[in-house]
Parts: sequence; C-alpha cells; structure tokens
Amino acid sequence: MRAIDYALRQAWASLWRGGRSTAFAIIAIALAALVLGSLLLLTWNVDQLLTQWTSATEFSVFLRDDATSEQRGTIEAAVDQSGVAEGREYVSKAEALTRFRRQFTDLAALTTDLGDNPFPASLEVRVRPGAEGNGRADALVKQVATLPGVADVRYDREWLARMASGLNALRGAGFALAFLMALAAAVTVAAVVRLGLYTRREEIDIMTLVGSPLAFIRGPFIAEGLLQGGVGAVVALTILWLGFKAVGVWWGADLAAILDGASLHFLPIHEAILLVAGGMFVGAAGGFAASRHAT
Amino acid sequence: MIETHHLSKLYSRGLYALQDLSLSVEKGEFVFLTGASGAGKSTFLRLVLMQETPSEGEIFVNGHNLTSLRRSEVQEYRRGIGFIFQDFKLIPTRTVFENVSFVLEVLGVPSTQQRRRTFQVLKWVGLQHRMNAYPRDLSGGEQQRIAIARALVNDPALVLADEPTGNLDPDLSLEIMNLLREINAGGTTVVIATHDRELIRLVGRRTVTLDQGRIVEVA
Repeated sequence: MRAIDYALRQAWASLWRGGRSTAFAIIAIALAALVLGSLLLLTWNVDQLLTQWTSATEFSVFLRDDATSEQRGTIEAAVDQSGVAEGREYVSKAEALTRFRRQFTDLAALTTDLGDNPFPASLEVRVRPGAEGNGRADALVKQVATLPGVADVRYDREWLARMASGLNALRGAGFALAFLMALAAAVTVAAVVRLGLYTRREEIDIMTLVGSPLAFIRGPFIAEGLLQGGVGAVVALTILWLGFKAVGVWWGADLAAILDGASLHFLPIHEAILLVAGGMFVGAAGGFAASRHAT
Repeated sequence: MIETHHLSKLYSRGLYALQDLSLSVEKGEFVFLTGASGAGKSTFLRLVLMQETPSEGEIFVNGHNLTSLRRSEVQEYRRGIGFIFQDFKLIPTRTVFENVSFVLEVLGVPSTQQRRRTFQVLKWVGLQHRMNAYPRDLSGGEQQRIAIARALVNDPALVLADEPTGNLDPDLSLEIMNLLREINAGGTTVVIATHDRELIRLVGRRTVTLDQGRIVEVA
C-alpha cells in the first residue's frame, strides 16, 4: 500500500511538473481514445438500429386478383400455424390504392386515369422476433409462395444483411486504426515518462543504491502513464459527448426522419468505463516500458 | 564483514581495474583503501555495492555471496549498506530533512518513524537547525554531513565512502573523519577510499594500498 501511495503521489507531482510534454502524451492518448470511442459509438448505435429493424421485420404476400376466399383462408391458416407470425393484416385492393394515394400525393392524380385498380390485395405478416434469425421465416416465405392464389411474396431483408456486413467491415478497420493509434500513444507516453525519468536520475540512483524496492522505483512511472492514459481517455469521452450532443442539436430532426423515428444514444456506461480503462492500460503500458530504464 | 578471494574486474579494453585481490575486512573495522587515481579503489566499492559484477573471483559481504546473488535480492542486500560520495549526491529540489527522510520513505518506513529517525540523525550530525534548508544553501562540509546522515538513517551494518573529503578543506575533512570514527565506534564497519595520505596518518587506522588493481601494501 505504501508503494502504491508513494507511486501515485510522485506520479501526480510529475504530471504537473511535466507541462507541455505531459499535455502531448495526454493528447496522443485522447486521439486514440477518440477514434476508438467514435467507432464504438457508431457501431453500438447501428447495432441497436439493426436489432430494432430486424425485430420489426415483416413480409407481404400479394394475392392474385382471381384468388378465392378459400385460397386466402388457406394462406392465412399456413401463416397462423407456422408460429413465425406475430400478427397479420389483410390489405384489400381498395385499401392498397388508398394507401398509395396517401403516401404519394404527387402521383395520386395518375391513379384517377386508370380504369381498373392495379394494386393487388395482400397479407402483411409481422415476423416474430427471433424467427428471422433461425430461418423459420425464410421457410414460411418459401412455403407460402407455392400456395395457390399467391402472386408474389416480398421479404426484402437483403439490405439488412448488407448493412450488418458493412458494419463488420467498418468495425474491423476501425479497431485496426484504433489499435495502431493506441500503440503510437503508448510509445508517446513511454517517451514522455522517460524524459521525466532523466530529470529524476539522481533520485533514482539514490533509490537504487539504498536498496529501495523496485515497486518504489518503477511504480511512479507506471502510475504516471496510468494517470496520463486515464486523463486522455476522459478528455476523449468528454469531446465525444459534446460532439454527440452537437449532432443532436443540429441534425436531430433530420436524423429522426431518416431513422424512421428511432433515436440515437450515447455510449452505455460500461463501454465508457471500458474506454477509460483502455486508456489507462495503454498509458500504464507506456509507463512500464519507460520504467524499465530506471534500473 | 567483507571477504574477497582472487577478485578481478576486467574492462572491455582489456584493462584490469582489480586483479587477483584477496582482502578481508572484519565486522566493526575501520579501513582505508588508498592509492593513486585508477588504482581500483572506487571499483572495489562499486563491486561491494553491486553496481558492477566481478569478472573473476568471489566476494562475500555480511554473509552474502555477491557472485551468486539473484537480481531480485540485490535491493534487499543494499539496504544493509550506507554510502557516501565525494560529490555528496544530494537531491537539489528537496530540503535537508527530505533528502534524509527520502531514504526511509522509499524503503516503506511509516511516516512517524521516518520523521523521528531523520531528526535523530540530523541532530547527531549537528544540522537539525538547517533541516528546512536546501542543499544549495549549505557549505560543502554541511552537505557532506547531510550525506553522512542519509547514509546512516537506515542503520546500515556497513558504510562505504568514496573520497568523502575530496571536496573539503583539511579542517572540514578532519571533522568528517571524526564523524565517521564515531559511526565506527558504534559498531558499524567503515571502508573509506581516499588518496589523502595526510588524513590517513591523522586518523591512523588499517590502510590497504592499491596499485593498478593489486594490493601492494597493508599497514
């Protein structure tokens, strides 16, 4: 405990003594943590949206114009008995036309010139959460498509898969970049801590000669890196939070419209803590590397 | 206390700093190591302090065989030795009190004991009234007395001094020697490397003379 207390007191004093060089190390850590934090913020929110959108998946079964009520009954029975559907809604030809006119007001005039209603009746099926992932929804779609009275089945979830794979690629590239920046930050911290080590050379020599335990000799340098890393990560987290708030103020309404009402959230507390812990670890690693030159 | 058998230290240029040195210093003894510059006095002290390792031979200090001491045991071993240098090696940014108590602090001694013991040794060297001063405010003799206080603060069994009076005038040198004699009177083994023949004559203790790394005289 005395060694930890001594290390923290010395490290704290050294942080203030360090001036510009300490600020430089903190900025390096903050930049690395900012890249990692932005990536975590982006991927976490996209993950949340994907989960939300995936759970809200639905497919449409378009009926032939000549489909009989018995055929429609067979289709509805197949959907109900599959256990895949959370709910279903029948949209008649007239309702489909009304919807079109409501959603596309500019094109509504076109439909008045048409003699017959071109829109097919359909069954809109909401997929139960989980059924999409285990393939049961796919199986139901294939089964329904073969039933008599069915003109077409639309189950467009390819974009979701593309988005998920794009997100994975982004995550991979982002982590690689964050790793490189963390490495550079650790090297910077090591260089800064080593500078401090040279200014305290006399003290360290005396400590070595009087038989001071290694924990007392090396501890302050590791603690100094740890503090630099922690401060850098907190700075990054603060910048990230301010940026997130600014995006909300300036583009919040546009984003809400794009995201169909879904909202974005800041990093959850456990990820924020992990980010600070990561910064401290990188700093401590740099401090440890420098401390090896002390003895 | 110190025993060497055929101790040699060879530097990379092929020069021997010490060659085939067999020497014994008894517990509680006061010994001078003397000789011209480059004779091997400082190298001997550095070997005892484990700042360097011997090229050949063995060295035993206070029951430790230094040639087989593990790296992890070196720090513990050094806690039994006090050292005094010609240039004092005081930390300029710390006060007199802090320079001395620092040793106890980095050895993990509780702060109350640190304060008590530091005050005791400062009083013993007669500088308790200067404990808030910085080294730059002290004379050479006072600085060396602080260095002596620092060497003694953790009660070592052995004190090594490398030219402790090298930067002092004859009166101050004698004053420092008297302090070291007092330390020795308390049972602490003292080994002093010096080339000051006059001082050795005045103190009158066993003297080992080195020349080119070899013992040439024991008087």
